[in-house]
Amino acid sequence: MAIFNLKKREIECKVVYYGPGRGGKTTNLEYIFKTFRKQITGEMVSINTEGDRTLFFDFLPMGLGKIKGCEIKVQLYTVPGQVQYSSTRKLVLRGVDGIVFVADSLEVRREKNMLSLKDLQANLKEYGLNIFKVPLVLQYNKRDLGEQGIPLMSIEQMDQDLNRQLKVPSFPGSALKGDGVGVALKECTKLTLKSLQRELKWAQ
Amino acid sequence: MGEKENIKRLLQEAELYKGQGLLNEARLKYDEVSDLVRNNPKIKNKQKLLAGLAKKINLLEVDTQKVEKGPSSPELSSRAQDLIQQLFSFSQEESEEEAALEGALALAKFGQFERALAEFDNLLSNEAHRVVAAKNILRCHIALSSEEKAADIYEKWAKGDTFSADQLEKLRVFMEQVLENKGVDRKLTVIGTKAKAVVEEKKEEEFIDISAIGIYLDSGPSKGKVVEFDVNFQSGNLLSLIISKRDGKMIEHLEVNNELEDLQFYSPIAIFNGSGLVAAKSEIQSGPKQGDYCLDIKITST
Repeated sequence: MAIFNLKKREIECKVVYYGPGRGGKTTNLEYIFKTFRKQITGEMVSINTEGDRTLFFDFLPMGLGKIKGCEIKVQLYTVPGQVQYSSTRKLVLRGVDGIVFVADSLEVRREKNMLSLKDLQANLKEYGLNIFKVPLVLQYNKRDLGEQGIPLMSIEQMDQDLNRQLKVPSFPGSALKGDGVGVALKECTKLTLKSLQRELKWAQ
Repeated sequence: MGEKENIKRLLQEAELYKGQGLLNEARLKYDEVSDLVRNNPKIKNKQKLLAGLAKKINLLEVDTQKVEKGPSSPELSSRAQDLIQQLFSFSQEESEEEAALEGALALAKFGQFERALAEFDNLLSNEAHRVVAAKNILRCHIALSSEEKAADIYEKWAKGDTFSADQLEKLRVFMEQVLENKGVDRKLTVIGTKAKAVVEEKKEEEFIDISAIGIYLDSGPSKGKVVEFDVNFQSGNLLSLIISKRDGKMIEHLEVNNELEDLQFYSPIAIFNGSGLVAAKSEIQSGPKQGDYCLDIKITST
């Protein structure tokens, strides 16, 4: 849940990057950290384990400037994607305001994408949130690997698998090259702020 | 595509998956290539190729083991611990004590037991959170050393004046259940009356500690039977069970959101009936429990 500090006219919201393990969530945050230096308000914190897998979470604080007299701060988090870190994922998801779901475009990861989305839905439900109502965007990552002849799912297939019912904004991307990173974050923060505006009535 | 090109393509895929850290996927591709080489009589130097592939598979297995055996909860820098405490104290605006408890619980959840212990120790001075903090101190000692050590801590408390008799009774019931579950034969000092503590425990905590659950199965190989499973973790009304792959068939038909009637809950105080629903079901993909199932059951009524 976003923190609205009336006295300071400041809103702090939480955006979580969710998705299957090794799908590129941390790479998204690394790219944001490298590229949007002006908006970054602190260091990126990553807690990794063997093989650079996210063990707990990554954290990156950003400032988006003022909207209608309110200072907007966004905290970006990633969750550990590996199945066994279920309780950590759930803890990191607590108080979420917006989600970027990073799906892996590799054909061999098709099932993992679907399982991770199902896991997201179940964890949101635990916090009384509905996946159909929470601000959510999808990023179909690793599109660049198609150039190397690696079998990727088509965008249509990924939409069919993951977005048939959700019908949320989706973006092809390559977090490594930065494609689709900024646009996915921008759309997610836009949806999040709209949702907070409705909820907190802060900009009316 | 010719056989040679196919093998080349599969090898390229395997290398890329390995580079991406997708070790299982890489392994499957190397296995596929090995099968193709083995079954193709036209390939020269077959043994040399197969030996090369076996070497690659062995290296992958070493990497996989490193990942699986990596530290599950490494000791973090104090800066990272401060951050965890700060980021996961959700009630900062409402209550400082509540936020402190949440921060300490997060530290424990992330395996930072030494630091969590220090935070829980501070919370012992807070009447409202004393018992919860104490239970978590015992949990941290179990994680750091042993059940025996936690029992020693209880005995130390039993001799001191930090806790009331009722609070100590709650801690004793909790600790004895832990000892029993772990098969540790040790009796703890009883302070105060058992019955009173039990009644208050029920009043104070909406959900008492549940050690095992009996599920009536209406489908599968154990249809018509009540099967008992140990509860591995409990968070309020959510119970997490790890079910061995041997018993996988028993729960094969259970799906998320399935309602479960006629559940039996086994607690240190009593056995009682209730109902629940399947909150999550997943197969553990790696680690020592690979192939086992994790089943979360949410208690809906008792």
